[in-house]
Amino acid sequence: MKNNKTTSRRKFLDKGLKISLTTVISGLGITKLASKLNAQADEKTDVKMELMTTDGTIIQVGSSEVMEMDNSKKHKEYNVREGMPNRKFVMVIDLAKCKNALKCQNACNKHHYITGNHAWLKVYKMQEDADTAPYWMPTTCMHCDHPACVTVCPVDATFKRRDGLVLIDNERCIGCRFCMAACPYSTRVFNWSEPNQDEITMLMEMEHQTHNSAEFAGLPSIKGTVDKCDFCPHTIKENILPHCVTACPNGVFYFGDKYEDTVTNGEETLRLSQLLIDKHGYRLMEGLGTKPSVFYLPPVDRLVDFKEGLESFTDFKSVDKSE
Amino acid sequence: MKNYDILLNDLAPQKFGKKGVIWTISLIVLIILGIIAYIDQIIKGQVVTNMNDYALWGVYISNFVFFVATSFVSTITVAVLRLTNNSWRTPIVRIAEIISVAAIIMAGLTITIDMGRPDRLLNLFIYGRMQSPITWDVIIIPTYVVVSLLLLYFPLLPDFGLLNKYYKEKQPKLSKWYEKLSLNWTGSDAQKTIQLKSIHIIAILIIPVGFMLQTIDAWLFSTLFRVGWDSTNLGAYFISGASVAGVGALVCAVYVLQKVYKLENYITDFHFDKLGKFLVLTCLIYLYFNLNEYLIPQLTSKKEATTHINVLMTGEFAPLFWFVIIGGLIIPIIVLLFKKGRKPLPMFLIGLLVVIGSWWKRYLIVTPTLLHPFLPIQGVPEEWRHYFPSIHEWLITIATLAMALLIITLLVRYLPIIPIQRTADEQEELKINKSTKS
Amino acid sequence: MKNQFTIHHFFLVLLSLLLYTSSFAQKVKQNKVRLKVQYVKIVDGEIYFDIKATAKIKKKNVRVSDINLTIYNKLNDEKIKIGKTTTNKNGESKFILKNLNLIQPDSTNTYSILISFKGNNTLKKASKSIRFKNANIIAKLVTKDSINYIIAKLIDESTNTPISGVSLGVRLQRLFKPLIIGKEFNNTDKNGTIIVPIEKGLPGVDGNLIFEVVLNESEEFGTIIAMVEAPIGTPIVDESSFDERTMWSPRNKTPLFLLIFPNLLIFGIWGLIIYLITNLFKISKSKI
Repeated sequence: MKNNKTTSRRKFLDKGLKISLTTVISGLGITKLASKLNAQADEKTDVKMELMTTDGTIIQVGSSEVMEMDNSKKHKEYNVREGMPNRKFVMVIDLAKCKNALKCQNACNKHHYITGNHAWLKVYKMQEDADTAPYWMPTTCMHCDHPACVTVCPVDATFKRRDGLVLIDNERCIGCRFCMAACPYSTRVFNWSEPNQDEITMLMEMEHQTHNSAEFAGLPSIKGTVDKCDFCPHTIKENILPHCVTACPNGVFYFGDKYEDTVTNGEETLRLSQLLIDKHGYRLMEGLGTKPSVFYLPPVDRLVDFKEGLESFTDFKSVDKSE
Repeated sequence: MKNYDILLNDLAPQKFGKKGVIWTISLIVLIILGIIAYIDQIIKGQVVTNMNDYALWGVYISNFVFFVATSFVSTITVAVLRLTNNSWRTPIVRIAEIISVAAIIMAGLTITIDMGRPDRLLNLFIYGRMQSPITWDVIIIPTYVVVSLLLLYFPLLPDFGLLNKYYKEKQPKLSKWYEKLSLNWTGSDAQKTIQLKSIHIIAILIIPVGFMLQTIDAWLFSTLFRVGWDSTNLGAYFISGASVAGVGALVCAVYVLQKVYKLENYITDFHFDKLGKFLVLTCLIYLYFNLNEYLIPQLTSKKEATTHINVLMTGEFAPLFWFVIIGGLIIPIIVLLFKKGRKPLPMFLIGLLVVIGSWWKRYLIVTPTLLHPFLPIQGVPEEWRHYFPSIHEWLITIATLAMALLIITLLVRYLPIIPIQRTADEQEELKINKSTKS
Repeated sequence: MKNQFTIHHFFLVLLSLLLYTSSFAQKVKQNKVRLKVQYVKIVDGEIYFDIKATAKIKKKNVRVSDINLTIYNKLNDEKIKIGKTTTNKNGESKFILKNLNLIQPDSTNTYSILISFKGNNTLKKASKSIRFKNANIIAKLVTKDSINYIIAKLIDESTNTPISGVSLGVRLQRLFKPLIIGKEFNNTDKNGTIIVPIEKGLPGVDGNLIFEVVLNESEEFGTIIAMVEAPIGTPIVDESSFDERTMWSPRNKTPLFLLIFPNLLIFGIWGLIIYLITNLFKISKSKI
């Protein structure tokens, strides 16, 4: 009799422990699941901010989606069509370092919310002749000093500034595309349809507060108008380098002020005149007389073989639509 | 006024018969289809066309250039033939003036179809820059519209006066319109002096304006860097091309109108013969310019020029190119050099070939150049390396052509095709000359 | 059988305890925050701590924004709170110390600062302490034989003695990143000084240049920047065509030829057109 009781007690303990074990294990499992779900939910429900849109309605926006405006006046106020005084912006592209990583193109597409099929910054696979060597050539708008595009614009929608930038006022543009026909570098892009920048349009309107400015190209893009690389005036006026310059992992892009005779790629800061002498800087299609503001350093003493860039070469795509 | 019964019977505008009504209605249907397609384009954007960032101008622009070229016909026929004292032009000048007016009005409309933001049309006037070739175009086209309308209107005054009387009983309402438009024309000496002086001024004025119109149209292309466009030849090339297109269109219109309105007594084989010779002359000059454009660059073989010419002669555009050169230029020249070729029916067929060839020639001027830019076409969808107009573009283009024909049709319906007063005056002169001789 | 049961039970208990404690461990904060602090002193200017907060979330280095940090002055095992700050959207924060006298050094004249983060739901608590001595750079421009030099002296402020064998850099302020002048590393001599010649032909607005002598991220003294204003630059000349009448200027600066000639043509032609239209009216009026 006593044996039976002990056995049953032991059995009871045994069962109890087994049950508690399974409870703990399943409890663990549930808590793990729950924390994972919570983490997902946490990512979505961050602090909500109340903001007013341009037409007076109050909306709730997640605070992580609101971008801060740094209103610190690092620069003096200037007329958008005239540009920053005492500056002439130039870019130097070192073809010896370009591996077609395309980080520049991705950064540009992302920060200008490009939704079309044509990126503003293109990296060309160049080979002038079968006997000459191939190389990768990133091109931006050249911001020419004798801009063919500005000459032919009938409504003064695209204009050349004192600081060298050629910008587009897409509130004025009539979409005749004469500037696109005039540009020999094929750098301009047309919004053939609604750009479909969606929610971003609303956020962008908040970011530059009142209305479109030519200094915020692509924010937003307008159907039936022309867009192109703008040398990121919205960043350079805060003394921050343009997005392509900072995105390049190989230090291909140098940017700076010609009057200061200094260009930098974020890591190296060099005197422009010396750089152009040392590495024989040249400009694209110099013979056309457009006087571009972008210098190229020839692909000599290549750091990486041309073939390594072939992996990421997409002949028929320059904007990644997967995001 | 003298009794012009016979003339008026023959030349007064008549109501449309069945054929006329069917013709007009078909044109209106085509126009409505085009308007629907255009509304769709406004809503969705020009993505409904097959244009892209490389083929950035397409059939809208080549159609526009065609209209501008065809509008040259009044300059070349009325003014040039007048200055050279070619009196056989009398029965065909009005048709030429009508074609000009229709073409230049359509040119003005067609260019707005190509704009990405037609709602900002006024920007061209408010913010216009004189440095831009488009601004020059914006100035010259309305100028030419006004001048060609004046060229049409001044000689019409006596005819309106005649028609007013002619229709007083038969169609009193129509007669009232003619009365208003005739500006109280009585044929008095004072009025005649002013009228003749004005016509003289317009005929001289339209020559520089017409030449400027064609040249500015050419400068839309030759002020750019692109291969095939960056040519010092282009201004004269366009003037010559416009003469061909204009006279070709004139020949077709003259034949059709002569047959439909039974005007064989006024537009005779003699006129066709003369027109044929005129057309051959313009075609020969144009052939000369084409040789300079397409044959000579092959000797220097500059890379871009060679690519361009190869694409035209042996590449993607070869069938079209050879149709335009052989069908639109060489065959007309050969046929028209023979007297038999200058008879009305062959002239009409050749005229059609010339017009169709002219239309596709402008397509060949605009499109292939854009498809080989200086930097290679990369990073864009494969379809962007080619261009052929989309359904929307065709519907809209055909609608503009239909609209031009409709304007011509309406003008022909209410205006005397052959200047009545002038024909009467000339007949008088002939009689007097005959009687003085005998 | 009894033994089996006991071992069996013991094993189960042990297992369940392990699992229990490990489940608690799962609930503890996952991500570790790394704080980087740099003490920066601008001579005759601001004194601040440059703080950067990063964390490794899902194997990627991410900047941590909007976290509250408290700054303490550590003195003799005590923590004196001197302020707090919050990181911005870039995970950075600049805490300005209004005066070095607000914090106390220890007996070796070394200041000890602690920046700490209390932690939150997703981030572990973290802290970073830095120690630095108060040093100063006295820099000036000297011209000799028409060559310009920057002469700078590095002094330990607490003992007023020069510091030798430390590398200083001279750079010129430019728009985006400064331009290095002379050699990258210039070691101070036994008097704590460096002499760096300035290359000719450096451009500046109105000829004004601002040089910086920098002790960069020294373990003992932090970062010290001394500025020297020198009007020795070549003045910048505006070479842009913005003020000229060119083909690419806006319409208020059209080339004179294009202003005069086309307008003459237009007025001439339209004058004639208007004359012709008045003729139409004349015809209409004269009935005789």
